[in-house]
Amino acid sequence: MTNTIDAKILAKMFLAGAKNLESKKEWINDLNVFPVPDGDTGTNMTLTIMSAAKDVAGMEDPDMASLCKAISSGSLRGARGNSGVILSQLFRGFTKSIRDKDELNIPVFADAFEKAVETAYKAVMKPKEGTILTVAKGASTKARELSNDGCDDLAFFFDEIIKYADEVLEQTPEMLPVLKQAGVVDSGGQGLMQVLKGAYDAFLGKEIDLTISADTHASPVKANVDVQADMEIKFGYCTEFIIMLSRNFNIKNEMDFKEYLESIGDSIVVVADDDVVKVHVHTNDPGLAIQKALKYGALSNLKIDNMRLEHQEKLFKAGLEPAKEASAKEAVMPHKEVGFIAVSVGEGINEIFKGLGIDYIIEGGQTMNPSTEDMLNAIEKVNADTVFILPNNKNIILAANQAQMMVEDKKIVVVPTKTVPQGITAVINYVPDMSAEENAETMKQEIGNVKTGQVTYAVRDTVIDDKEIKQGDYMGIGDEGILSVGSDVSDVTYQMVQEMMNEDLELISIYYGSDVTEEAAKQLKERIVEAFPSCDIELQYGGQPIYYYIISAE
Amino acid sequence: MNHKVAVVTDSNSGITQAESKELGIIVLPMPFMIGEDTFFEDITLTQEDFYNKLEGGADVVTSQPSPEAVMDLWKDTLKEYDEIVYIPMSSGLSGSCQSAMMLSEDFDQKVQVVNNQRISVTQRQSAMDAKMLAERDMSAVQIKEFLENDKFNSSIYIMLDTLYYLKKGGRITPAAAAIGTILKLKPVLTIQGDKLDAFAKARTATQGKSIMINAIRNDMETRFGGASADNIWLQVAYTKDVDAAEQFAAELLKEFPGFDIVINPLSLSVACHIGPGSLAVACCKKIK
Repeated sequence: MTNTIDAKILAKMFLAGAKNLESKKEWINDLNVFPVPDGDTGTNMTLTIMSAAKDVAGMEDPDMASLCKAISSGSLRGARGNSGVILSQLFRGFTKSIRDKDELNIPVFADAFEKAVETAYKAVMKPKEGTILTVAKGASTKARELSNDGCDDLAFFFDEIIKYADEVLEQTPEMLPVLKQAGVVDSGGQGLMQVLKGAYDAFLGKEIDLTISADTHASPVKANVDVQADMEIKFGYCTEFIIMLSRNFNIKNEMDFKEYLESIGDSIVVVADDDVVKVHVHTNDPGLAIQKALKYGALSNLKIDNMRLEHQEKLFKAGLEPAKEASAKEAVMPHKEVGFIAVSVGEGINEIFKGLGIDYIIEGGQTMNPSTEDMLNAIEKVNADTVFILPNNKNIILAANQAQMMVEDKKIVVVPTKTVPQGITAVINYVPDMSAEENAETMKQEIGNVKTGQVTYAVRDTVIDDKEIKQGDYMGIGDEGILSVGSDVSDVTYQMVQEMMNEDLELISIYYGSDVTEEAAKQLKERIVEAFPSCDIELQYGGQPIYYYIISAE
Repeated sequence: MNHKVAVVTDSNSGITQAESKELGIIVLPMPFMIGEDTFFEDITLTQEDFYNKLEGGADVVTSQPSPEAVMDLWKDTLKEYDEIVYIPMSSGLSGSCQSAMMLSEDFDQKVQVVNNQRISVTQRQSAMDAKMLAERDMSAVQIKEFLENDKFNSSIYIMLDTLYYLKKGGRITPAAAAIGTILKLKPVLTIQGDKLDAFAKARTATQGKSIMINAIRNDMETRFGGASADNIWLQVAYTKDVDAAEQFAAELLKEFPGFDIVINPLSLSVACHIGPGSLAVACCKKIK
């Protein structure tokens, strides 16, 4: 009978837990309540734990203190998504409690479980029951009970805890109605169970392959690319340049020029400033765009990429890189008092954020949640005393908060923006003359005044908000849940807008994604204009994948 | 009354020629160049003509009144009055004030040029204040000093319908010029004595109006000693759209009950820089 374990065994258990979670990743992804093709719990939790597992696997003959440090800091930095952040906080609390022990026995474990749960609850602004937190708390309660009963057999201890925590997990649908309706247990809780079960197997001495491969974060991007792989590229060359105007470029010239570009391609962005015009177009004949542009002035910063080739390459390399960095090619930006970081996706939306003064864009909001480390890197690059972060996705806010806590030499303000339109609203409302606190307060208030609806497709059959959804259906998702479902993307979007509107709203902004043609988007706009004649309707190219339309009403 | 002080201002105050007679304030019309031709505000150029030309894409250029026009008006006025208080548009927005100061040197202290950085409805209020002070038998120098000491007791917020005219005119500080994006925005600008500067941005008119209301309330409470009608003049100004201005005034009245709100078109020299469809709210501390 074993009643203590040392650092070496704990390291093995941790790696086995990580491995087991990784092997169940896709299965856990499928437990997501919203059947949307993004931000998957299994993937996020795996990436989080693997970030620590890599460090742990590299340690030879670890002692408890260094093992704890590796687990804690590795998972904190690698944390992605809400469940990933909570998992990293569980590890942080757990390791804090055991780091100065040489061996762990049952009372020590019971303390560590409690510390873990306490830490994780604190990390979440409004802890919700029926989630990974509840499952962790169940495990901790059982551990305390067994310890108080004088249990000294670790095998029995672990077995009982896992059994009890599994029961708690089975109860999660009773605590969270959305789970019940979708007919699933909580995915984060299930992820935690897989870590515990893997660790237990290692404790029992089961044969487990503990090799941790270096490129574990390959998979999520791959999933993303696979989706796009089916997509045909209609216009092959991504063409960008700046016209240095040598003659007047008035609104009419701008319209004419845009119209011309529309006749030869799509994904058009034309931004005219005093004496320059920035141009972006996807076309099969970049020469035509360039010739036309030369009429207005000399060109600079030309860049033409063959997207068909790139697409191949992307498929080939799938995901060996972490979240891409869209801006900031230069290593050091000039020092500023206040800087802005936004999580964004899609070249059109990136462009809008840059135009609004965002200094650094972390790309990958929808299909690839950036990690705390991605945030820390961005904060490092933005050379400012105060840095505002706009996560623009509810599953990224916690990772941003975690980054905020880890930075000491700069003031970090996380504005809890849950959608891209909220992020746009937040940055628009920034007033340079006000303090960071006043700005944060105003931004928080203002983002409450913008409604967002997003349209994507369902990855599996389910029932949510009393709506039956079939795999492949289009769904319009509002701030509070599903607003419309159907088989025609325009109809679903139109219905979603109908649901979003009330008489106080006066501006509808439509950002269309990379899988929607400009023509289809314009037709949709016309339908919305007809339905809401008193509103201003603005159509913008967003270029985001996965989400056909992102629409805001304010 | 044996000592007579005349109050003279320019048409940037928004005081029309008709009002001028009523108020006893003499108004110098500002000249505009449209193409090859020179027009004078409210004399040979109506608001309507002006917006038609502006929206038709005409290049409208403001210019200072000619030294001759300024001096002739002063000379004429001095036939009837002993002294002149001259209140030109803000020295932050135009060189008119500087020129006038130079010209006044030849008038042996009889013309006092007030450099109090007012424009539009706040300039109008300055002229009315000057008139009141003159009636209290203050001398031109005393009035000038009084108004200059009072110059920061005013505040203006303007919401623009578009950035187009502001960029075209180039009369904008770098901070405001940085507001450039493919999204349609309604910038809210402010005039605090000096130049037109960026204050905030809004996406809809409702948002913009709410930003202006909060800002003006904050000024009243923190700078001008409280938001009460005995203490504050509240004004609304606009370019082209008088209906929108009246609606805004009604909304302001709900926020600031009991205030007497003056609605005035923005002077054309401001309008040509910010374009049609702008709304402004201004306040001045009442002088005791």
